[in-house]
Amino acid sequence: MNRKTLIALVLAVAGFITALLLPVADLSTAGQITLGIFLFAAVFWVLEPIPIYATSLLVILLQVLLLSAQGPLAQYTAPATVQPVRVEANVWEIPATALTDDGSVRVRRNGRFQAVAVDVRETAADTVAVRSAELTEDSALARRARHWQAEFSPPSYTIFLNTLASPIIILFLGGFVMAAGASKYRVDRNLIRIILRPFGTRPASIMIGMMVITALLSAFMSNTATTAMMMAVVLPIIGAAPEGDRFRIGVALCIPFAANLGGIATPIGTPPNAIALGALAQQGVNIPFTTWMGLTVPLVVLMLVFVWFLLLRVFPSGEKNLALELTGTFETSPKAWALYIVAGGTILLWVTEALHGLSSSLVALIPVALLTAFQVVEKKEVRNLPWEVLWLMAGGLALGVAMRETGLAEWMVGIVPWGVLGAAGALAVFGIVAILLSNFISNTVAATLLMPLVMSFVASGMAEGFALTTAALTVAVGTSLAMALPVSTPPNAIAVSTGLIRTPDMVKMGVIIGTVGYAAVLAMAFLFWNLIF
Amino acid sequence: MPDIHILCIEDEPDVLDAVLRDLAPFEEKFTLTGAADAAEAREILEGLDPENDAVGLIFCDHIMPGQRGIELLIALKKENLQPLEYTRKVLFTGQADHADTIQAINEAGIDHYLAKPWEADELRGLARKLLTEFVIAARIPPLPYMAVLDGARLAEVIHDRNDLNETG
Repeated sequence: MNRKTLIALVLAVAGFITALLLPVADLSTAGQITLGIFLFAAVFWVLEPIPIYATSLLVILLQVLLLSAQGPLAQYTAPATVQPVRVEANVWEIPATALTDDGSVRVRRNGRFQAVAVDVRETAADTVAVRSAELTEDSALARRARHWQAEFSPPSYTIFLNTLASPIIILFLGGFVMAAGASKYRVDRNLIRIILRPFGTRPASIMIGMMVITALLSAFMSNTATTAMMMAVVLPIIGAAPEGDRFRIGVALCIPFAANLGGIATPIGTPPNAIALGALAQQGVNIPFTTWMGLTVPLVVLMLVFVWFLLLRVFPSGEKNLALELTGTFETSPKAWALYIVAGGTILLWVTEALHGLSSSLVALIPVALLTAFQVVEKKEVRNLPWEVLWLMAGGLALGVAMRETGLAEWMVGIVPWGVLGAAGALAVFGIVAILLSNFISNTVAATLLMPLVMSFVASGMAEGFALTTAALTVAVGTSLAMALPVSTPPNAIAVSTGLIRTPDMVKMGVIIGTVGYAAVLAMAFLFWNLIF
Repeated sequence: MPDIHILCIEDEPDVLDAVLRDLAPFEEKFTLTGAADAAEAREILEGLDPENDAVGLIFCDHIMPGQRGIELLIALKKENLQPLEYTRKVLFTGQADHADTIQAINEAGIDHYLAKPWEADELRGLARKLLTEFVIAARIPPLPYMAVLDGARLAEVIHDRNDLNETG
């Protein structure tokens, strides 16, 4: 075990134990356990002693073991029950421990404990007489009202396991399967060729052309895969530009930036979007595919144009024309046609959700089933799907579920004095934290850690005048705007690895984009998103 | 990140110096070593740590005092040393007969045959291509090598493998 792993392990375990021992009256024991899991996961996700998807699976395991009704903790610590003893009509004698400070008892009904308010009549040494019309001689009261399972009924372990196949995960699976097919039949490469052609040979037009196609592809495929493919296409082209032409830097930067921005534009563009949609769904808010696009595409277009101007200004080309030689043809085999039809149909159904009302997750099953049925996507491609990205998101969603169920999210929001900032100020803080944090850690992890907090902040009523959707979008979009460092996102890492850009170039541009993007997100939040919901 | 070696075996000191000088740009990411004969090459290879070292590329002269180039490469292939599992091999020589050439391809697993004399750019282009193939074949994470090797080809591999995503 190396030093980094050891430090992470010590910190994570210390965080876990501290959370359990914390003397807090207003947080349930289940909330404390969840806080322990939250701190443990946060340390592991940030310091990465193990891959972040492995941490996600640990989160689900810990929740099943420690928080679910079927888990050993709930099984072995089932609360003892006691029956009330009738004193006279509607007056019952119960153990003093069964009464809470606020004058209620916990009665088991259908396997769950519910609070029943009672009137206290007389208090003896260790019993009390209470008045209640709701109790009977058969009522099962928790002998200790403060027992953790009397305060919080552990949910079935399925609510944690179900995150692995939740609608939002299936939505991404649909996207992954289509991307695998597109990659296999080189649809992505051919699209680049076709879309890039009308942009001509002027360097400035070539750059915006590359940005448009990159953003378009990364809106439906992984930002990283899109960047890698664009680099494969573009490196030979910019190799043709003279050595030392600053335009080469501009092109090498425009691709990762456009990929990061493109991910914002659809629900399946990038995993933080899934975390936002999952958190909204938990609150009963379902955002159709097209609604998401309607809310985010204006911002993406705005930012793409801004980045284009910025890069052209800072890295102008010395050349008048650049030769673009892109060759290739679309495959016309029956399987390729099956892919074109299924993928085209799926995207069409996604963007017309408002017309037919079929949810995008339901539609996502179509390419999964049909592309495997037609064997466009075969066993080899199925095995090559980025399953660990799904696990990473599932762990994030599961953590969000537990934080909400146990009241932890609400409690964490409660310990910050938001009053000073006001609702708008608080939202601005969440936005800036999202951008700053995800410059250093995984965007998905940043969204996972912040989303339950921002959601309960709005749900608690402290953010008067702000819609849940506005808050979720601010955090999710914020994480995608972090692109100042090579480690900020995998597309940035690929771009720097080409050797065409020096890190300071990326940092300067990334900081400007982050700052302008932040202002743009807040403007969208206050002037657009919030007026719609 | 493993330590990837480029080993050049050549008995004429002037030629060896020229090869090492021509390949100097690769030193940013690779360990460049010269050996004067088969015995010295063997010594270097046996001193490698199978856990951390891998040989990416061997440039080997054929006509040398002691063991000749092809014989050395055949012997190494038979021994199956771990650092040599995916090694690309180039044989260069001014004089090799037909039989030598056939043996080099069939038994020593030569990837390329380079006739003397050669241009520096030709040598570098060859090294770039073969090292790119090596990085791909050995499934070494390609990102650190994009700038020095064939970046477009490695980008394509990153895309196809789908294993560099947000989860690292």
